[in-house]
Amino acid sequence: MATEAAGVPAPPYKRTELMAICAAREICDGEIAFIGTGLPMLGGMLAKHTHAPNCIMIFESGVVDARPKRTPLSIGDGCLVPGSVMLCGLTEVFGLLMQPGYVDVGYIGGAQIDKFGNLNTTVIGDYRNPKVRLPGSGGANDIGSLAKRTIIMMKQDRLKFVQKVDYVTTPGYLDGPGGRERAGLPRGGPACVISDMGVYRFDPETKEMFLESFHPGLSVDEIRNNVSWDLAVSPKVRATKPPGKRELQVLRTKCDPEGIFLGT
Amino acid sequence: MAEPEVAGKLMPLAEAVKKLIPDGCRLRSGGIAVRKPFAVIYEVMRQRKRDLTFLMSGWTEDADWLIGAGCVDKLEGSYLGLEALGLAHCYRRAIEKGVPRRVLIEEYSNFGMTMRFMAAGMGLPFMPVKSQLGSDLLKVESFRHPKAQVLEDPFGSGEKVALLPACPADVALLHAQRCDADGNAQVWGQLGDDLWGTYAGKKVLLTVEEVVPTRVIRHDPNRTIVPGFRVDAIVATPFGGHPYQVQGYYDTDRAFRRDYAARSTTREGWESWADEWVYGVEGHEEYLKKLGEERLARLRAKPVMSGKVNYGY
Repeated sequence: MATEAAGVPAPPYKRTELMAICAAREICDGEIAFIGTGLPMLGGMLAKHTHAPNCIMIFESGVVDARPKRTPLSIGDGCLVPGSVMLCGLTEVFGLLMQPGYVDVGYIGGAQIDKFGNLNTTVIGDYRNPKVRLPGSGGANDIGSLAKRTIIMMKQDRLKFVQKVDYVTTPGYLDGPGGRERAGLPRGGPACVISDMGVYRFDPETKEMFLESFHPGLSVDEIRNNVSWDLAVSPKVRATKPPGKRELQVLRTKCDPEGIFLGT
Repeated sequence: MAEPEVAGKLMPLAEAVKKLIPDGCRLRSGGIAVRKPFAVIYEVMRQRKRDLTFLMSGWTEDADWLIGAGCVDKLEGSYLGLEALGLAHCYRRAIEKGVPRRVLIEEYSNFGMTMRFMAAGMGLPFMPVKSQLGSDLLKVESFRHPKAQVLEDPFGSGEKVALLPACPADVALLHAQRCDADGNAQVWGQLGDDLWGTYAGKKVLLTVEEVVPTRVIRHDPNRTIVPGFRVDAIVATPFGGHPYQVQGYYDTDRAFRRDYAARSTTREGWESWADEWVYGVEGHEEYLKKLGEERLARLRAKPVMSGKVNYGY
């Protein structure tokens, strides 16, 4: 096994695996979870195979309570269809299940995030003359606006954890306390950010993101160096709970045996 | 390519595209990652259509190909990427560098776009949503003014909604599993945005895996999502959704999608891909021959049959 520069042995799992496991831990049994492509999909499948067998996975292509038997490559993957309880369309899933408030938790990713959890998946740079044109909202804005809580999953560095996002694709807490209410959003907001470096929550008063745990092998200072604002840190900050044996085994054998999202 | 002469709405692919999709029209593609009308997209490229306004909730390769081919002037939609396979590089080159030409996009969320299609389908000028509020999707305009408006409930609840303008299409594309000769179209599996997106079209160009006798449709009418009288042209295109999946017919061709994602990262790579799979291929039949029976056989779906219901009274 490869060892890191300081001679410390690398942990017996990948960062992507830890992120998927952290995602799974955010789902409570019986909850309605709105799932997107990639690591959130693995998180949902893992939760269902372990501590949350009664959670219901909803996909925006129009699938309710999917029971996929292989790793879905896309939200439209045919393996989401057999054995689901209802098939409809995007309008019905968003309009009838999400907008009136029946979805407990939604997962989204981002290219940039600020301290209030506002997310950019649209452009890097000036909107009219961008350095990088990204895919845009897709369903992310709808999930971040309308789910009861959202879990954000993304890679972290100073260019991604920024003072000000170049474009607010998906609202977090906007300009802070009361921001969502002033905009007219009915509920919700980010509950948690899972990065490849740590896990963050949001202060209920200030709505500001704070570090709850750093992934094993990293320090609070290293994490601070990868955030471009003065990061708040929980007084109870600790190392992220490493993957359990069963979590890893189910993730590797049942959720993504080919390493499509976990990497090979 | 010799295609059979048929009466009525059934016609060859090239003729349907020629008749229904003029340069400069508002064209709606279909399917959120399912049943995408790729056979039509290829033909639009081969006929070198120009200045299209391309409409969709979630685009992937369909829009990237048309942008790479220089067919698109404007986009109205919400997402353009290759999902798990990464960014759409023709889109990036067009927006970042104007290659092969500049395109403009007016963007909304996925739900917002389907509500815009719903408004058009229902003959309404706009539709309210509770998402998009507070975000730059409401604030940053490209070519529509206003692209959206925030309204406080006129009935006094104090609630705010975002009003989004209807999104009518001159032509809506739909790729369905099957229809009859009248165009009564049946779809199963995920519906994506196909229900409302299809009705947003003043005209509907329907492609199907199979044309079946009317009695097949009439035996299971709950599966019909659009009646034949709303359909203007029908083209039988088996594997017409390739390289995506069509439930009950075939699975996604992951190797094809990966090959495209890799080759399209450069303009030269894209051109060689397009010469190989689009411009160097005469039509849909030749495309299937090029894919080869062995490859198609590997993609064909295994049967997972539905139960039956009693329509009796």
